Amino acid sequence: MNQVVCLLYPKIIGFKNRLSIRDRSVIIKLTLGITLGLCFWAGIFAVFYRVLVYLKGIEALGDILAAKLLSMVFITFLSLLIFSNIITALSAFFMSEELQLIISSPVDGASLYVTKLLETMVNSSWMVLLFSLPVFLSYGIAYQQHIPYYCVLIGTMLPFIIIGAVLGTGIALGLTLVFPAKRIKDIMILLSLILGIALYCLFRYVQPEKLVDPESFRTVVEYFASIEAPTSAFRRSQWATDAIAALIFRGHDGALFNLLLLWSTGLAGMVLLQRLFGKVYFEAWTKSQEASSAKLTRHTVVKRMLDRVLTRLTPSSRAIVTKDLYCFMRDSSQWSQLLVLSAIIFIYLYNFSVLPLEKSPFPTIYLQNFISFLNLGLAGFTLAAVAVRFAFPAISIEGESFWIIKAAPLDLRRFMWCKFWLNFVFLLVLAEGLIICSNYLLRVGSFMMLVSTITIALMTFGITSLSIGCGAVYPRFDVENKAQIPTGFGGLIYMILAIVFIGMVIVLEAGPVYMVLMAQLRRTSLQTIQWIEIIISFAAVAAINVFVFYLPMKIGIRKLSVLEKY
Amino acid sequence: MIKLSHLTKCFNALVAVNDVCLEVTPGELFGFLGPNGAGKTTTIRIMAGLIQPSSGSAVIDSWDIARNPVAAKRITGFIPDRPYLYGKLTAQEFLRFISGLYQVPPEDTEGRIAQLLELFNLTPWAGELIEGFSHGMKQRLVMSSALIHKPRVLIVDEPMVGLDPAGVKLVKRIFRGLCEAGVTVFMSTHTLEIAEEMCDRIGIIQDGRLIAVGNIKELKEMSGAVGKRLEEIFFKLTGAEDLGELVETLRP
Repeated sequence: MNQVVCLLYPKIIGFKNRLSIRDRSVIIKLTLGITLGLCFWAGIFAVFYRVLVYLKGIEALGDILAAKLLSMVFITFLSLLIFSNIITALSAFFMSEELQLIISSPVDGASLYVTKLLETMVNSSWMVLLFSLPVFLSYGIAYQQHIPYYCVLIGTMLPFIIIGAVLGTGIALGLTLVFPAKRIKDIMILLSLILGIALYCLFRYVQPEKLVDPESFRTVVEYFASIEAPTSAFRRSQWATDAIAALIFRGHDGALFNLLLLWSTGLAGMVLLQRLFGKVYFEAWTKSQEASSAKLTRHTVVKRMLDRVLTRLTPSSRAIVTKDLYCFMRDSSQWSQLLVLSAIIFIYLYNFSVLPLEKSPFPTIYLQNFISFLNLGLAGFTLAAVAVRFAFPAISIEGESFWIIKAAPLDLRRFMWCKFWLNFVFLLVLAEGLIICSNYLLRVGSFMMLVSTITIALMTFGITSLSIGCGAVYPRFDVENKAQIPTGFGGLIYMILAIVFIGMVIVLEAGPVYMVLMAQLRRTSLQTIQWIEIIISFAAVAAINVFVFYLPMKIGIRKLSVLEKY
Repeated sequence: MIKLSHLTKCFNALVAVNDVCLEVTPGELFGFLGPNGAGKTTTIRIMAGLIQPSSGSAVIDSWDIARNPVAAKRITGFIPDRPYLYGKLTAQEFLRFISGLYQVPPEDTEGRIAQLLELFNLTPWAGELIEGFSHGMKQRLVMSSALIHKPRVLIVDEPMVGLDPAGVKLVKRIFRGLCEAGVTVFMSTHTLEIAEEMCDRIGIIQDGRLIAVGNIKELKEMSGAVGKRLEEIFFKLTGAEDLGELVETLRP
């Protein structure tokens, strides 16, 4: 036990030290994070509470539906816990830097197992636990539960997260016997991403807005069919559901039995996992030290293709762009985000294709162009969000190898502009693709098409410059997981500036666009004063774009030139 | 070839490098010694153009590194103490990348890469990702990259860390060979035997100040430790205490 405490000591002290940091940016980030978290928490509570109050009002069927909802909540939580535990266990048991030190020291296997299992459990469960609270609180309040409900809840959640950790860690241990840990982590991240995207797309594809449209449900039978939830494939989550449901709907009947089932399974799982750990861990750890390879990008066809595309660049620019592309394609934490991007684009365009414009009381032409103009802001925001994922980290991904760039006979301006153009091309294709496709789906007129395509192209210059510039002002070279780069203070500042920039462009263009559209609709010509107003507005838009294009890059270059810590 | 004039670097209240003046001639192998935290790496990082001096200058072949960094870096090769490289590139791709940065003529690139990989015994791993390399292999790859553009000045921070005996022997031969060809090597090291064996002249830095410069003979005279080895000279100059009694207390 002493060894477990000793092994946990650096984690606890590290956590305490992190909390005691009085850095201004940390405090702002923390405050913002807590505020956002609380809003999200309150949102979950409000939604669940309203749904449960509504269900409670339905005679007979209400309780069944509420129990079914609880069952689905537990299935979701268990799936999340298992996935999250597999990924965390791979890091904690196989890829953590401290393992070299621990394994080389006289620490017994049992202590290592307990410490790492606790670490895995805490790291992968705290968020699920935190965001499950409003759900269970809403059940407690909606169904007027008292202290016994909350006691059973604690008694249920503890073994529930133990079971999740045991299952996740067990699967991770088994997988590392077959594949290197680094590769499995990539695969798991990818799988969870695909699963999330598929669920998201599926959810959008079934058009949940139809659920509130009474015309969609002609018969009660149809309605019952549509709410038929999947039966529980996971018995463990069903025990948890039954323990809570017994208290709410059946007056304690069966709660204790299900609690015992959960606790006995959790504790037995821990013991069995320890046996498995003792048998396979060292072999799996040895395997986890194997390196990965990159077959596709090492293919001569890829190399020749890149050489041909980049042939006009100077040798140093070509070297930087080639290096960036290779590193991007080989780092799953970076390219897997492309999948998220694809899902966003799919949903984005799909939403436009199902807009019921013809049902609106306003003239269709007016509505089409009005939505197209709003779409400009939305596309700008999407672009800013994509840029924070891909362009903002462009400087930080150099990591601790940034010394190579600094020591090379390379003007940092060239380095920065290489990063700019590489990201600009990608973002411009995305931005124009989004605008042209959505305008095509909306069937807007040529004026709106022209304004949108030119504005988004101009905004892409500004957004790319802002993201690269902010990335250089707030670089994070020491971040191990590249996907975490945008989550820092710099990422937040960039997003705020980008939103302000997009907002200013939209506000400035709103007046002139409205004037032109109304003139077209009324078939009248514009007056001289209106022309002057239009010219001033568009000139202001152009000036803002030039300013945002130029200034962040300049500040970024200056900041990077004097940067000494990396 | 290298001229440091009143070089000073402050990190807030700490003066890491304090008014260092030094000249290194072409073809010279200069050893830079000092205890931990003396200012060796800071001096080297200024010379490599990684950080800016607070005052004074570092001139490489008439190019002031702060004023004309690109020109100075073009003729310099730098080998850091910790070889952080791009893990997702293969050794060959990394050398191609460095060739691009240093603008090695394209027709020479592949030949030079093959030659250096062969020289540093990395040919079998040329197509492997760097993330799977050991520390020693990364160190050899960094050395290859520092030589790919045929530099006239080589700045090296702790070159032997992580190298096996064969690697150490190879590096010693390469450095000597480079100096014979007129390349200036500025090397910081903690390994006093290597400094004594390889360097034409040695500079000792302590608390940011250059406290002694000269060849072994001159350093012996300076310290008054005639007939003794560099180790004793170093401890005498830096004022390190005799640790005999302390070591005794550690016996089991």
